[in-house]
Amino acid sequence: MLKVLAALAVGAVLAGVASVAVVNVASPTPEPPNKPLYNYGTR
Amino acid sequence: MAPRHARALARLGPAALGLLLGALALGPALGPGYVLRYDMVFVPDPPLVLGSGGSGGFPRAVPSDQVVALLSLALPADVVQKALLLVVFVLAASGAAALLPGDRPAARLAAAAFYAWNAYLAQRLLLGQWALLLGFAGLPWAVRAAARGPTTRRDAVRLAAALVPAAVGGFQATLVTAITVLPVAALSGRPRALRVGVPVTALLVAVLSLPWLVPALASRAVTDPAGVEAFAARADGPFGTLGSLLSLGGVWNAEAEVPGQGSWSVAAVRLVLSLVALAGFAGFARAAVAGERRFARGPAVAAVVGLGVAAVVGLGVAGLGAFAPGVLKGLIGWWPGFGPFRDGQLFIAPLVLCQALGFAYAADRLGRVGFAAAAVPVLVLPTFALGAFGRLAAVDYPDAWRRVQAVVNADPAPGALVSLPWGAHRAFAWNGGRVILDPATKMFARPVLWDDTLVVERRAGGVIRVAAEAPRARRIGALIRDGRGPLTAAFVREEVRFVLIAQKNENEFSSRFPGVRPILRAGELLLLRL
Repeated sequence: MLKVLAALAVGAVLAGVASVAVVNVASPTPEPPNKPLYNYGTR
Repeated sequence: MAPRHARALARLGPAALGLLLGALALGPALGPGYVLRYDMVFVPDPPLVLGSGGSGGFPRAVPSDQVVALLSLALPADVVQKALLLVVFVLAASGAAALLPGDRPAARLAAAAFYAWNAYLAQRLLLGQWALLLGFAGLPWAVRAAARGPTTRRDAVRLAAALVPAAVGGFQATLVTAITVLPVAALSGRPRALRVGVPVTALLVAVLSLPWLVPALASRAVTDPAGVEAFAARADGPFGTLGSLLSLGGVWNAEAEVPGQGSWSVAAVRLVLSLVALAGFAGFARAAVAGERRFARGPAVAAVVGLGVAAVVGLGVAGLGAFAPGVLKGLIGWWPGFGPFRDGQLFIAPLVLCQALGFAYAADRLGRVGFAAAAVPVLVLPTFALGAFGRLAAVDYPDAWRRVQAVVNADPAPGALVSLPWGAHRAFAWNGGRVILDPATKMFARPVLWDDTLVVERRAGGVIRVAAEAPRARRIGALIRDGRGPLTAAFVREEVRFVLIAQKNENEFSSRFPGVRPILRAGELLLLRL
């Protein structure tokens, strides 16, 4: 029973994070045209 | 679950799950047409050319392009592409599962899901490196075969068959496989493994490397040490380069990131999953060494020590460019053959497999709840779905490209084709502005001379310019850059027969070919015959 509850809790957290990620990515954002062909990023 | 159903699920479930995950990841890319992104360039009716097609460059797409050309004799090239992409997912999922005992369906499904849905596979797919991924998908099968020694003729044949995907993939796929199967064979604990198994494994890898090794040694291509900085593993999230590598990302190109993966929440969950998987692998290794029979059975037991060593070596190679670039630059300066280690992140493939097995071990300890673990990799990286939300999609080539291809390939006269503007990559409107390697490099049954200089935006501003590798392309590039005078005579001396110009650059180049009449003007393309 404990395993099931723990799995449900972890699943709920993962589903929440996944939903936020999908909504963020799926929302239309203006994308600059002609971005550099290769990009090393800023990090 | 009845034992019969459990066995069927364990046997067929992983492959079916791989197919499902492949369909989910590719999404719109499975429609009619070609999926074109960075290095992934498939063309209609690809010609069968040997080596690097006489361009003198490093044979990066050998023998993968030749295999595609052969398969395209029987099926349309876009169908071949989709089939190969789906094979990557099915082979990866079923292979990771095949390393585990047949009576542990939850663990097998967890391993399958983890190995077929992770940042490494996603980033390399978004970089278009399907040929590398073929080797990545075949890696568990190669590990399974290498873990048997291999000291008998039958085992050697098995290993040779398991190495075929890597052999088809070419140099990157083979190198990644080699650094994995050699320690696995050496540390399998089988009798005569060191004396017979390792030499047999090395010999098979060497023989299957010949299709790209021979043209590579004959190509006289050069390797620019500037590529060490350009291709070094980098942070793709808030946890630095090491955190990115441990969570199986860290690809050098920021445009190859899965959308949204760099946010704190997604990156944190991904890192936690990787740490759980690494802890699971440690537990699995301990159980295997202690001879625990409940889970630690099957081919993975003999492979576990070698696989762990391969993962550490792979992580070391990945960190070399990021943390000790001077060492790698020195090695490349000494011998250009060290060039493939510039893109070190690709060598973490054995770490992905370790984590898949570790995740399976953790899932197995949850009993029936462990079946739910198969959904975790998707929830941790959900934006890989649907072609990474549009980063991968199928498009058709405009008719102009097919007309140019027909004219050039119907001409029996020898001579190369030069593709202008002088740059390696294109971003066509008909491909949604996605960046791709110039398709002209794959379309013609004659040497194609193109600028293989790579321009990479630097972190602190400015660009890193990784010099062209092919000597003939370097000469053509020097001619083009050398003033604005006519090029016709110099190109004829370089045995150039055709010049293909993207029309928006017509004014820039037409004046440099005085007296040469275009033989085809179609859509965005202009074709000159010298």
